[in-house]
Amino acid sequence: MASPVEQFKLKPLVPIEIGGVDLSFTNSALFMALAVAAVAVFLIQSMRGRHLVPNRWQSMAELSYEFIANMVRENVGSDGRPYFPFIFALFMFILLGNLLGMVPYSYTFTSQIIVTFALAITVFIGVTLVAIVRHGVHFLTFFFPAGAPIYMAPLLIPIEILSYLSRPVSLSVRLFANMMAGHTMMKVFGGFVVALGVFGVAPMVVLVALTGFEILVAVLQAYVFTILTCIYLRDALHLHH
Amino acid sequence: MRQSEMLSPNLPGSAMGLAFRVGVEMVAGVAVGTGIGYALDYWLGTGPWLMIVFFFLGAAGGMMNVYRAAMGQGMAVGYRKPADDAEDGRRDETEREG
Repeated sequence: MASPVEQFKLKPLVPIEIGGVDLSFTNSALFMALAVAAVAVFLIQSMRGRHLVPNRWQSMAELSYEFIANMVRENVGSDGRPYFPFIFALFMFILLGNLLGMVPYSYTFTSQIIVTFALAITVFIGVTLVAIVRHGVHFLTFFFPAGAPIYMAPLLIPIEILSYLSRPVSLSVRLFANMMAGHTMMKVFGGFVVALGVFGVAPMVVLVALTGFEILVAVLQAYVFTILTCIYLRDALHLHH
Repeated sequence: MRQSEMLSPNLPGSAMGLAFRVGVEMVAGVAVGTGIGYALDYWLGTGPWLMIVFFFLGAAGGMMNVYRAAMGQGMAVGYRKPADDAEDGRRDETEREG
């Protein structure tokens, strides 16, 4: 029987090698492309009608738009509006990646730490640049809590810098660990069903519940990733001054 | 209806979201601290000392992040005072309840 972690294996579909670097088009890349295509088709196709009273597809598209628009407005404030397209794209990409992974025989690209880390480091560097551009040298006061006595600075500043640097790590590990653990667990229970024969009904029941739970986690993790991006962006824009 | 009311901690999803956030935060702080300490040791050749120091600093940073998340201060580094957040304090309220 296949090992529970075999589903995470990268398989090159179109081997490409440029200058000794392996740039193969893998199953992970295929599902990333599929996620982008699915988002584009979903949004363009459902908004084609432009009904005043939206039909089902259009209201789904409007709902997802308003969901992120409200999230940005409430967590970042009105000056977060220029960043809305990025945050919306980020949310839809992660959401579709997580949900496509729930389709049998598909590949969950968000279960790869390098993918989630690339997303998180993009957010981290982007947010830091926004803070530096907006506040200049003032950005450095970010690392010293106001009201703390000055002789605490040698201790507090390294702690604050480390706590700042741990952001991309916690952001990426959270998404990756949730997706990987969930999918491994589903595969393990799937193995039980086959191995136990008639008594496989018991793990089967668990598996059904687990599948529902995994869909919840898929949506929730996309939401958590996005709302944390909003919170980081708000910190960068306002700096609490 | 406002979105934040839909996603208040009364809903299982959002409380779980907070729990996921907090759990990883602590580990990430320690990992980043230890990693930076190890890299500095490797670079400067200062034995295990910087790794030990940065391990504790990273642990403190991670706990600080957990404290901030739990107290509804978002993930703000160098958090100042709650009064600054009066205009967009809704999220803080909802998080504090959780």
